Amino acid sequence: MGHARHRPAVRGRFVSLFLVLILALISVSGARAIDWSDPARRMAQKIVAVTGPGAVAVAVENRSSLPRKDFDAISGTLRVALESLGARPVAAELAAASVTVSLSENPQFYVWVAEIHQGTEAPAVVIVSLPRGDEARFGEESMPVSLRRTPLWAQEDRILDVAVLEEDSAPKQIAVLDAEKVAIYRQKNGKWQQEQSLAIAHVRPWPRDLRGRAIAAKDHLLDVYLPGLFCRTTTGLPLALNCRESDDPWPLAATAIAQPLGAFYSASRNFFTGALTPGVGKLTTVGKFYSAAPLPREKYMLWLFAGVDGQLHFADGVTDQSEKLGWGSDIASVKTGCWPGWLVLATGAADNGTDNLRAYEVADRDPAAVSAALDFAGEITALWTEVKGDTAIAVVRSQETGDYEAFRLAVGCSR
Amino acid sequence: MKHFGWRLVVAGSVLLAAVAGAETRPQYGGTLHIAMREAPASLDPSDQTQADSLARRNLLALIFETLVTADDRGRIHPALAVEWDAAPGDQRWQFKMRRGVSFHDGSILTAEIAASSLRTANPSWKVFAEGEFVIVERDHSDSHLPAELALTRNSIVKKNGGGNLSGTGPFYIEDWQAGKKLAIRADENHWRGRPFVDEIEIEMGKNFREQSLDLELGKADLVEVAPEQSHRESAGRRVGISQPVELVVLMFNGDAQTANEQLMRSALALSIERSSMRSVLLQGTGQTAASLLPNWISGYGFAFSSDTNLKQARHEREQARAAPNWTVGYDANDSLARLVVERVALNAKDAGIILRPTAASQADLRLARITLASADPWVALTNTAQALGMAMPKTTGDSVEDLYNAEKTLLAAHRIVPLFHLPVEYAASPLLRDWRPAPDGHWRLDEAWMAKEKP
Repeated sequence: MGHARHRPAVRGRFVSLFLVLILALISVSGARAIDWSDPARRMAQKIVAVTGPGAVAVAVENRSSLPRKDFDAISGTLRVALESLGARPVAAELAAASVTVSLSENPQFYVWVAEIHQGTEAPAVVIVSLPRGDEARFGEESMPVSLRRTPLWAQEDRILDVAVLEEDSAPKQIAVLDAEKVAIYRQKNGKWQQEQSLAIAHVRPWPRDLRGRAIAAKDHLLDVYLPGLFCRTTTGLPLALNCRESDDPWPLAATAIAQPLGAFYSASRNFFTGALTPGVGKLTTVGKFYSAAPLPREKYMLWLFAGVDGQLHFADGVTDQSEKLGWGSDIASVKTGCWPGWLVLATGAADNGTDNLRAYEVADRDPAAVSAALDFAGEITALWTEVKGDTAIAVVRSQETGDYEAFRLAVGCSR
Repeated sequence: MKHFGWRLVVAGSVLLAAVAGAETRPQYGGTLHIAMREAPASLDPSDQTQADSLARRNLLALIFETLVTADDRGRIHPALAVEWDAAPGDQRWQFKMRRGVSFHDGSILTAEIAASSLRTANPSWKVFAEGEFVIVERDHSDSHLPAELALTRNSIVKKNGGGNLSGTGPFYIEDWQAGKKLAIRADENHWRGRPFVDEIEIEMGKNFREQSLDLELGKADLVEVAPEQSHRESAGRRVGISQPVELVVLMFNGDAQTANEQLMRSALALSIERSSMRSVLLQGTGQTAASLLPNWISGYGFAFSSDTNLKQARHEREQARAAPNWTVGYDANDSLARLVVERVALNAKDAGIILRPTAASQADLRLARITLASADPWVALTNTAQALGMAMPKTTGDSVEDLYNAEKTLLAAHRIVPLFHLPVEYAASPLLRDWRPAPDGHWRLDEAWMAKEKP
């Protein structure tokens, strides 16, 4: 049976470094380069097929989410296309036909509708449709201390973590962890190309709100932590991923932190159980928590735990204080050369149902925001500090497209 | 301190963020209490004696699953099937079944069971199993078959002895009192992972006022809101509103048989003041409509004018040689329907047309409320036409323009007069988190969770 293929399961989208740079430039200028000439030409042909060449009054209305810039571009292109086919735009009182073109949309298409009035007849309607693209939106903020993001990867399946395996001035090799595989990509000629896809063998169903970590290792490529499962890559080539059921603790601290700390993750839920190894000072157990962030002090390590109880817990090995700050449940710490000490990145909710991130300085036990909120176009589903500690990975589920987008976050100081 | 000066400035924004309520990860546990107006007598998705209402679809989607699902934009995603192919011509489709999925009774989902379930729901389809594939063969090209299979009525059901139904959905039936109460519990081994809430209890047959009271008293966490009541919601409730998904339409019993009848029906359609009805009766909710599909699904709905034209209505009425007195029926339990019908009768009178409202089952035309089947415009139009007792016109392609022409043909029969597209609206307790209805009005509850305390 010769079947035409409809394969919906995985639709990876390669984001080349070149494209990332272009998108970043585009976001700064607020422009978007979409070529509207083909649909405009098709619309003009359909209109002229009804009106014939001659004087036509043309009005264009925007009933879609297209921004003004695109609306202007389409209007201009359409008028040029009409003129090229002999339809001369004139004022309504001089026209033999009047045409109202509405730029509309449905969930999958831009829908351009031309209502053509000639005499007393009911209007003729012609329609041109074109698929809606998934436009990524990347914003920039200019504040005293700013969070900067670099898009790394986007795909339809939930991204749990991204590990940057090799880089010079920009990432050259990355590992993308999702529920079923680790995919390794390498930059070649300005594009990400998949080198290998390593399936994750697991027997038990994953919990909802699945979380996982992919951590670059020293003597082999990668360690992968998932609920109830630990995987590591082989040392030799060809690369393989060996997985075993395990409740081994997940590492909480970046390698830049001298005192490592592990925590046990619930195999059937979305939180850490609270058991720590080797512990924070004398403290080997805290309450259940979603995420943790270490803040190195001169003589000790202060750990922040975002508890399941909605409180932020401060543990220094001697005391465990808690406070309700209204932060989200994902926190991570990063160090930056332009700020004394480490900063905490914390998720928060924006008014429109999307999430944002903000950097905080924690002097003593008193967090103070040191950056403006960095807004994302959806819910932040993962936030992990990278191994070197100077960057973090955030994964966002786009409210508009439903795709998962992974970003590398860094703290930049603009003054 | 170097940073002291602006630390004060940002402190204000921290407070705002805290007031807004920062997002937290979902918590497991708790019982979600829901109240609803409808009182379905059966949970069998293929039971065609039951109205295909949104409320029923919402219930079934918690217990049963389909081969594929449609997202907010109508794009199709794998569910019980992991991939699918169409043979050239789109008449024969094959769906590869997901492995390792169990029914709530513990038995394994197989292609044979899925095929049997689909045959029951669609007697006119040829459906059979081939190894791990379900094959569907249609007698015509059907490029929208996956979207059709995403409809709740095509859920995969295993029927056990004694009429017991078993599904593969995120919740299994714990207690079912037909038309009164449904209690369902989280399936610990669901293939997508256990849902966050432990249990959902649904009370049925409650009117809007009772539901509102239940929410206020903390007896319900999620209730329905009448369209005309949506602006009266008190502060502190969280309200979720869908896109307009319900078509309110006047429906004649059959096509217009004579030119005279066509003129009368056209005159009636032109006489109706939809905008003022929307302002007064619906309190500004929804959209006036002259099309079957709302604009958000089709993209062209505005091209069908819903403007009143009393002058033309009178002209057409005068052109008609005979003017019958029509009865217009409505559901006696639907207060909004009665108000709309009475208003339509008044408008018609202004154009010289006599309409007599009646709650009796026999009438020349009726006010119907039809929930659109899908966000896929073709599936939505096809199912709406079926619900109205009309045959979907044949089309040469599947472009948006082809869709428009099909809808125009349906409307040209003068059998139906669309009035409004209404959204469905829900009010939720602050304890219900990570919940908002889908654009098509589905609850989308399997990812929601219950907070232990109000934010």
